[in-house]
Amino acid sequence: MTLVETIDLEKGYRVGDMVVPVLKGIDLCIEEGEFVALMGPSGCGKSSLMNILGCLDRPTGGSVILKGENLCTLSDGELARIRRDQIGFIFQSFNLIGRMSNLRNVELPMILQERPPNARRIRARELLEAVGLGHRLEYSPVNLSGGERQRVAIARALANDPMIILADEPTGNLDEKSTCEIMDIMKKLNDDGRTILMVTHDLEMTRYCSRMIQMRDGRVVQEGI
Amino acid sequence: MRPIDILEYVLLSFKSDRRRAFMSSLGIIIGVVSIVAMLSVSEGLYSGVNERFGDMEMDLINVRPGSNMGPGPGERPSFAPEEPAELDDRDVKIIENIVGVKAVYPLKSASALLSFRGDNASVRVMGITPSHHEDLKVVIDRGRFLVDSDYKAAVVSYEIAQNFFRMDISPGNRIRLYLSEEGRYMDFKVAGILKEDEDPNYAPDDCIFITHKALEELLGRDEYKYSSISIRAEDASQVEATADDVDEGLARIHRDEAYTVEPTTTRFESLLEVLNMIKYALAGIGSISLIVGAIGISNVMMLTVKERTHEIGTMKAIGATAWDIRILYLLDAGMLGLVSSLIGIILGALVSGVVGSIARIPQEVTFSSALSGLLFGVLITTIAGIYPANKAAMLDPIEALRAE
Repeated sequence: MTLVETIDLEKGYRVGDMVVPVLKGIDLCIEEGEFVALMGPSGCGKSSLMNILGCLDRPTGGSVILKGENLCTLSDGELARIRRDQIGFIFQSFNLIGRMSNLRNVELPMILQERPPNARRIRARELLEAVGLGHRLEYSPVNLSGGERQRVAIARALANDPMIILADEPTGNLDEKSTCEIMDIMKKLNDDGRTILMVTHDLEMTRYCSRMIQMRDGRVVQEGI
Repeated sequence: MRPIDILEYVLLSFKSDRRRAFMSSLGIIIGVVSIVAMLSVSEGLYSGVNERFGDMEMDLINVRPGSNMGPGPGERPSFAPEEPAELDDRDVKIIENIVGVKAVYPLKSASALLSFRGDNASVRVMGITPSHHEDLKVVIDRGRFLVDSDYKAAVVSYEIAQNFFRMDISPGNRIRLYLSEEGRYMDFKVAGILKEDEDPNYAPDDCIFITHKALEELLGRDEYKYSSISIRAEDASQVEATADDVDEGLARIHRDEAYTVEPTTTRFESLLEVLNMIKYALAGIGSISLIVGAIGISNVMMLTVKERTHEIGTMKAIGATAWDIRILYLLDAGMLGLVSSLIGIILGALVSGVVGSIARIPQEVTFSSALSGLLFGVLITTIAGIYPANKAAMLDPIEALRAE
């Protein structure tokens, strides 16, 4: 079943009087259960595409269809709700909130969903235990290593049981050992049926993936297994 | 987000940055302290005055020679200022016959020198009609009050009896009154001493009561005019109407002369009015410092939003709506306002206690002054939070995530 589909997707940024095109007509299809690697040189439009797919930004042309719903017609509030309920983000720089404990960080999406405190605490604990951080629940992410922080971030991304996980260079800031750990977790998630779209520079990472999309200069240039 | 979670987030941000919370609340604390202190000090002033005059008799009317004030707004000043009216027994007769008047007490006051066992002191002598004074508030400590048949008898205030001379004056003592400018004098026997702090409000605390007959003789017979006439109305609620009737009655014999008829409550009420104005003026000054405090909060919150841009971006990325963020930061300001107002009220009570005891003003922190401090504090800080909260809510998540 098709989860995400883009049709002739365009995005341009206004710089002074000129509009600089970044995405120049992207047709893309991601099926349920896929693990897709999105590759390409810097400035090719990977991040812009991820932002639009993640409902953080709107396209200037074409359309994005998420599970049959056209995102271009939704209001800001409705987009926020889709981010809250359907999408899990994993960022390169983790983006955890240092003032909160790991448990709280993982609870945050569920707090936004207004889930009852007990239920969300139990789920956050389970998720952290699943990524091997059951002994670090009350720690602040500030006191963790990079690999551990990314594991907290993965737990957070899973908190709302998302339809798709968008990972923007999740191993970009990590050493080799942590990279392997994180990728193993991602692979396991995919084996459990999660759909993942991952931006990466590292060709090495593609061996975990089921499909690879190459972008260059705002266009998809190559798709392959 | 649930209210309890919002609250938890806000408390967490206070806890994680105590210095920020303290610095931004300082302005509000000072503002609330000044509002509460100023309100309670002036409230104390108000109730102190009220207490002092509260036992004032509401059915009294005062008639004085001379006009009360200059020309009113829009009135031309008169070219021939009216002579002050001379009040005498004719006036007393007229007033006694007016319907609604219960009793009339003409008063004459004069200054004189009191001599007692070789010491002299200047005092105020009040000439009265003793039988008329029975129902005026005069509380005797020792001896008795004057009666109509008294001639050379005097009643002395507590202040004079205890503090003016080396020896205390007691009933039965002899005293001598000199009229300084004319060298005339008269001897009196002390009939009674007034009770301490129980001086009637129409007489100063250094006064001696004697009969009109005696005062008339002391002053010289030809020019005996009353300094004022006190009137007791039959019905305290009709005191204004009775005063108008008295005014009309006196107009017949004092055609071109100035005199004032005034219920004693009028002056008291205008005094309370002035005190009320002072109270709100002081509270207004207090609110200015509160507004300055609010600007401080606004500034600190702007900084906080800037510092937390990345965090706000993260929250938005994982699904917080603009409203979620707005409520978080509005409540941040509101909570700061609430906590600092509460601290301000406590400190304000302390400050007004200290000010009150130094200035010897009775003071009390009333519920209403505490409540207005609280309301103003919370309201103004929340208003101060609107702009920063909006700024946070409107952040573009992509830009915010890029910020470091």
